[in-house]
Amino acid sequence: MGSSSKKPETLVLEARNDATKESAATTTQTGIESKEAFYASPLYDFLSPFKLVTHQWEAKYIIVLFALILKCAVGLGSYSGYNTPPLFGDFEAQRHWMELTINLPLSQWYWFDTHYWGLDYPPLTAYHSYILGYLGFFLNNKRANWFTLDESRGHEDLDLKSFMRFSVILSEVLLYIPGVIYMCKWIGKQTKQSPINQYIAAAAILLQPSLILVDNGHFQYNCVMLGLTVYAINNLLDEFYAAAAACFVFAICFKQMALFYSPIFFAYLLRKSLFQWNLGRFLLIGLATVSSFVLCFLPLYLLGGGLSNVIQSIHRIFPFGRGLFEDKVANFWCVSNIVVKYREVFSNEELKLYSLVLTLAGLLPSMLVIFFWPKKHLLLYALASCSMSFFLFGFQVHEKTILLPLLPITLLYTSSNRSVVSMVSWINNVGLFSLWPLLQKDGLQLQYVVIFCLSNWLIGNFSFVTPKSLFPKWLTPGPSVSQVSATYKRRTLLPRSIFWKLVIIISYVAMGITHMLDLWVLPPEKYPDLWVVLNCSVSCMCYMLFWLWTNYKLFSLRNQSFQSH
Amino acid sequence: MGHSAKQKNKKSPVKSPPLKKPLLQQIEVDETRNYSLWNFWVASTALKILLFPGYYSTDFDVHRNWMAITKKLPLKEWYFEKTSQWTLDYPPFFAYFEWFLAQFVPKAAIEDGCLDIVSVGMFGIPTIYYQRCTVILSEIVLFVVLQVYVNKSKMSEKSANFVVASSIVLSPGFLIVDHIHFQYNGFLFGILIASIVSAKFEHYLLCGFFFSVALCFKHIFLYLAPSFFVFLLRAYILNFDSSFKFKSYKNLFELVHWTRLFKLAGVVLSTFAVCFLPFARDYEQLLSRLFPFNRGLTHAYWAPNFWALYSFVDKILTVAVMKISQHTNKLDFLFKKCHLFTHWGHNNLDEVINTGTRGLVQDVTFEILPQIPPKITFTLTLFYQVIAVLPVLFAPTFKRFIGSLTLCGYSSFLFGWHVHEKAIMLVIIPFSFLVISDRRLLTPFRLVTAAGYVSLFPLLYTSQDFLLKILYVTIWCLIYFVALRDITKISSSIERRVWFFDRMAIVYIITLLPLIVACGTIDIMRVSEKFEFLSLMLYSVYCALGVGSSWLGLSWLYNFDEPLWEE
Repeated sequence: MGSSSKKPETLVLEARNDATKESAATTTQTGIESKEAFYASPLYDFLSPFKLVTHQWEAKYIIVLFALILKCAVGLGSYSGYNTPPLFGDFEAQRHWMELTINLPLSQWYWFDTHYWGLDYPPLTAYHSYILGYLGFFLNNKRANWFTLDESRGHEDLDLKSFMRFSVILSEVLLYIPGVIYMCKWIGKQTKQSPINQYIAAAAILLQPSLILVDNGHFQYNCVMLGLTVYAINNLLDEFYAAAAACFVFAICFKQMALFYSPIFFAYLLRKSLFQWNLGRFLLIGLATVSSFVLCFLPLYLLGGGLSNVIQSIHRIFPFGRGLFEDKVANFWCVSNIVVKYREVFSNEELKLYSLVLTLAGLLPSMLVIFFWPKKHLLLYALASCSMSFFLFGFQVHEKTILLPLLPITLLYTSSNRSVVSMVSWINNVGLFSLWPLLQKDGLQLQYVVIFCLSNWLIGNFSFVTPKSLFPKWLTPGPSVSQVSATYKRRTLLPRSIFWKLVIIISYVAMGITHMLDLWVLPPEKYPDLWVVLNCSVSCMCYMLFWLWTNYKLFSLRNQSFQSH
Repeated sequence: MGHSAKQKNKKSPVKSPPLKKPLLQQIEVDETRNYSLWNFWVASTALKILLFPGYYSTDFDVHRNWMAITKKLPLKEWYFEKTSQWTLDYPPFFAYFEWFLAQFVPKAAIEDGCLDIVSVGMFGIPTIYYQRCTVILSEIVLFVVLQVYVNKSKMSEKSANFVVASSIVLSPGFLIVDHIHFQYNGFLFGILIASIVSAKFEHYLLCGFFFSVALCFKHIFLYLAPSFFVFLLRAYILNFDSSFKFKSYKNLFELVHWTRLFKLAGVVLSTFAVCFLPFARDYEQLLSRLFPFNRGLTHAYWAPNFWALYSFVDKILTVAVMKISQHTNKLDFLFKKCHLFTHWGHNNLDEVINTGTRGLVQDVTFEILPQIPPKITFTLTLFYQVIAVLPVLFAPTFKRFIGSLTLCGYSSFLFGWHVHEKAIMLVIIPFSFLVISDRRLLTPFRLVTAAGYVSLFPLLYTSQDFLLKILYVTIWCLIYFVALRDITKISSSIERRVWFFDRMAIVYIITLLPLIVACGTIDIMRVSEKFEFLSLMLYSVYCALGVGSSWLGLSWLYNFDEPLWEE
């Protein structure tokens, strides 16, 4: 009886099945592969059950939660400067800033004991530390041993570590993740990607290995500055220019490194306002910029003893007294220093000038292109090129600074062009590789390997290793639930051009060799840093090539738009 | 029927949007899909490796010690060795397993102290990495068994079975208990699931074999034994087909498939023989290790079962009585019989509240309510197990068998003696196989998984795992609550679903989150000694409500709902 009453219903269902099946089949055959760069990757496989309109909301939460779980798990590892007195590391620096901001009046923040991790980031970082410091003080139930002035130096306990890890994740959830997801959806709509592919791109971006390992492993708050920059780009895409300017100023006021992006923002905004004779817009942008700067620095002036405090903060933020580069870093200066010993030939002043000239020359093409062709789809390429030239030719660059160029580059995962995506994933791996010496020092080797493998596997970089051939058939290796046919073989993630294929393969081999040397061969006594230098040289070569590629892309795409490429 | 169909038409636009169903049916018919756990294994393994540097409990040292015992000592001393307080108290198969693991300990780990028989293990990273790896590798059994289950199932059932299989391999229970807390449950439950799967595909001999192997690995599976016993007896050995007619006592003899009986008995008994014969001479020692009756009613902290609620009521009454008697002594004569007044002199309020929740393995005494001797817990457990098992005797279908298995797990968890919170997996795993058969089972399932997994949280008391465990349980619930709702069949008797209970369950589950956050905040702030117990008590009492009501829901459906159990 039950079955008889059900029958008409099931008939209808079957009819619908056929319809959906057919449409699915046709799309598979015609366009998906060309359209969706991540087709048949494990991420696609995991998220394909949420293709239905009724389930898309789930996909968003799942990628965010998954990324957060991974970040938490990475956070279980060690951090920079763990158990290494007297100076410890970045973790201690951040903790120390919380300690001094909640204990001292604003007037002393930039003056207090500058030799022991004195505050040398712009005021928003200080306010951020202040808020988190109070949160920690509250959670620590005012027993205050996390943040007692002076006494808590080098304080290490598990609860403190958990709190600090939590504070990074909190900042990320509030500032970085929403921006990234918004951008993926925005660009995805422009390029007519399926919603699920937008989320796949978002997942690929959120799982960017370098940022996870630096922020959640090594310990820093880069996600805040990067997140504010993403908001600024989003506002440019939405044509809210004043808001974009304000967001970008906040990014600079969090970490001065965001200045790497400034030429592009400057050129783009200038072109969009003054050179289109939109004076109202120009004034609005100017007002937004100035007022957000004032907003950030005003408390220093008002509450902190006047102009001298502001000047001191700026003096602390831009330490031009330091050298061309400090540690080994994969940029032009450090690598070519192997051949030409700059510091013996030139004075520091001269070097400053040369580096400025080279940097300007490097960023000029991207700035010019964005000025004459102020198009939205060029923004990410321009930002990548500009910040990369800062990284390669800039003064006083750290290895972690690679995160800045990597942000716009990684955001290019939203592209539907397979070659672009493969270039992006390649340079992300190079970026991670260049962080190896740092992460090794922090004791994050395990996390490095796992995150490298996982992030590459998820976006389908390892699909050339088909488990089908390695395992017996009754174990059914292969995709889990997606409707990718069992015979479909995903192409490896390499660009179309032979040149780049060659470059990428050679660079991977070089990276592999460097790692093996690092693992098994002791460097000669004369050059204890030999493997690190090798690491830097390999990465620097890749960066250079990639920087050229971004410029080439800028030039070749200048007359197109989101829809057409 | 016409009436109910009408009712359905009237309600369906409100209750279940008609769009959802067809799309999911489409998944069911689709034959091109590969339904593989492969990707899940890769992704979850990456996560599990990242957990290596995290927290591990004393169970880690327990297993390390067992490895050392089995490697260093001759077999007959295994169950006598007691240098460490973590004596070997699992059945011999598990000891053999530990011996097997001890064969592959790398040199670095041996030098690290992995195989030293000492009272407190001194070890470092190599040992931790090695043992963590053994957990991950042994868990492959679980993946393989479930993959076979998916592959062998009918095309129409594949997607539903795949959801079940993936929900089990990704279960937060295994992640928390095995990969953080440290145990080998993934592997052990793999064997148990193998026996369930063989029962599904009617390989009864295999079913008996796997269950006896599982039993020889971990004797907690004894709680599920009644169900297996009755099911195999009725489905395999007894012969009640329609041709049976009683004419004389000779006919009774035909009731039994004798060859089957001997085959099954042979398989089961030889398994036990391989397991226990080497220890036959010292069976008393072995038994005293396996069944230590000197432990208390509740474990370190109260597992969320009936006794948690019982203790909670007792605490409330105690506090109430003390408050009253502080004000007036006139009521004394009312309470004269109460246990409380036997040690009235030295008890103060806080001390009374704190006993039994301090995380010590100790005897719990109740102040007001009557004491609970082991006999009562066993009687209760057995009573509810018999009720659960009887229907299988009359109609030995797979669905009923799984139902009875789940209920056996429930009764042992809710009423058992010295129950660990980890034992909730005995309920959740069988229930996962059952829940796809009807949507009305979803509410009890959601309740027991949410409450059960949350009740595991106090196992990981360090702050570093706090966010991780919440996020993982959340993502699991998000994925599988929705996936199971989509995949479960709406039975013809859907109208009988009680709307109110479903909504209550959802409210209950959502309320778990503020509870966890509040408890976490209390823990990290360490407000005062007085509140030491508070978060533990909140956890166990609130979760006990969830587990208990889910048991009531399932019992109701099991015992009183006919259409659900028709094949």
